[in-house]
Amino acid sequence: MMDPSLLIGMMGAALAAVLLYTFIGFIPGTDETSVLLPITLALVLTGVDAMIVVTFFIAAIVTLNLTNTMPTALVGLPGGVMSSAMIEHTLLIKSHGKSAEIIKKMATASMLGVLIAIPVSLGLAHILSPFAQVIEPYGAWLFVIGAVFLSLISRHKVLSLLSIVPLAMLFESLRHLYWGTGVVPEDTQITVSFFLGITIGPLIFKLFSLLNQNERLKQYQDAPKTISIPKASDNKEIVSPLQILSFDEMRHLSYGALIVNILFVLSPVGLTILVGETIGKRFTSPLKRSTMSVVSMSATVQATYLSGIIIPLLALGIPLSPVAIGPGAALFNAPPVYTPDYNIHHILSFTQLTVAIIVGAAIALVISYVLITKYARTITRVILSRVPHEAVLALFIAFIVLLAFIDAGFINIFGVLLIGLLTGGLHKMGVNYGVMFMSLYAAPLLIEILIGGVF
Amino acid sequence: MMNYKPLIEIWGDSVNPKSLVKAIIAAVIFTLGAHLLAPSENETMGLFFGLAGAVISFAVASFFIKPKRNVEERDEQ
Repeated sequence: MMDPSLLIGMMGAALAAVLLYTFIGFIPGTDETSVLLPITLALVLTGVDAMIVVTFFIAAIVTLNLTNTMPTALVGLPGGVMSSAMIEHTLLIKSHGKSAEIIKKMATASMLGVLIAIPVSLGLAHILSPFAQVIEPYGAWLFVIGAVFLSLISRHKVLSLLSIVPLAMLFESLRHLYWGTGVVPEDTQITVSFFLGITIGPLIFKLFSLLNQNERLKQYQDAPKTISIPKASDNKEIVSPLQILSFDEMRHLSYGALIVNILFVLSPVGLTILVGETIGKRFTSPLKRSTMSVVSMSATVQATYLSGIIIPLLALGIPLSPVAIGPGAALFNAPPVYTPDYNIHHILSFTQLTVAIIVGAAIALVISYVLITKYARTITRVILSRVPHEAVLALFIAFIVLLAFIDAGFINIFGVLLIGLLTGGLHKMGVNYGVMFMSLYAAPLLIEILIGGVF
Repeated sequence: MMNYKPLIEIWGDSVNPKSLVKAIIAAVIFTLGAHLLAPSENETMGLFFGLAGAVISFAVASFFIKPKRNVEERDEQ
């Protein structure tokens, strides 16, 4: 029987996650990893029960993935990285004057995506868990294979493959520098701040290039963007999801949400684009094609995130998916509370994890679905007219500076800057985040291989 | 009307470079300042103070800097 105070703690955590990430989700351009990781890490380090951490995280991703799509659909500014994939379609739908309608469809699709993904990924985790003992000793190798694999399926294969070893050398040389100078003890493996350095890389690269005056002069704009919010009033009554989506839409989004569960090791953005375009292509009318695409993408986004965290967490205990390595990293490795050998996977049973996941998702779905169908337009208007983009960018920089400082002191702020400049440059050339994150995790083994210490 | 110029687009939205530099400096000072104020023996408090500092700087920047967007409401046809 469950301790009632634990259940109340879990519900409180879910509620806090919903409120916080509803706000963050509506702010355009808030990168998922940068807003999920530091706050989850803070929660983990307080030492609260692991079930509370899981509930919080699941509620956070469900809410964030749902609310991120709202500014995307309403005003054409992507709420986060995942929804930037939808922007072209939502702009087309908006030009047809259907944005009030599409946000309801997207919210409903998102909800169905969660309802499909949770049981499927729990089932997959159950099937995969016997293999965990077999896989575990080779964990480090999986990251090397993962980096190569993600390079091979990316659009710029040779570029990505050639970036892996230089990136590994960058990360390991910084670690050895800190060990050598005694900045951190030799058993400390710095990961979190390096990780965020990659995430924020494109922003740092852009800001640095703007310090060149010639570059800056080229980019000046004449006028601020004009953003129009549809005037149609928010619908005050809540209608059943079945009245919002057509049978055809439900069928297609279900395919999308189902198939991505099996592909949990792949990049969520990549998968979402793939599903959206594949399904969209089947329709000839532009409006119908875009509607189908964003509806299936809304469901797919939830499914990629949920399977990407649930399967590695329940079955493996090692962060073997872009979601687990990225936004969910604190669930697997947050010293001194969790380490790769002793984390939430080892602490909680399958049943406990299942309960925490369901409580988090259920609370997030109910509250954010109601909030969105009722107030999406109002929240968008208030945030767009009150929150300056400067403050959002500055907040990201502050997060990364803080985590860099905590990880390895003042010097690491420049270490992370170095990582940001390099990975930001590579990102601009076409290397995707997945390859870079995998390289970070594969770095120690790669260097050992290179110096001949493995064979 | 306030003169926003010059404007530059970064990450899909317009910013004024001077305001951005001010916002970044303020955010870093608030965040690291708050972090250093935390009781030093406790790692968790350090992270919390820092995050709180970041949130405060965000609120302050939002108060002083005007968003560079013309928001208008329009009827859908």
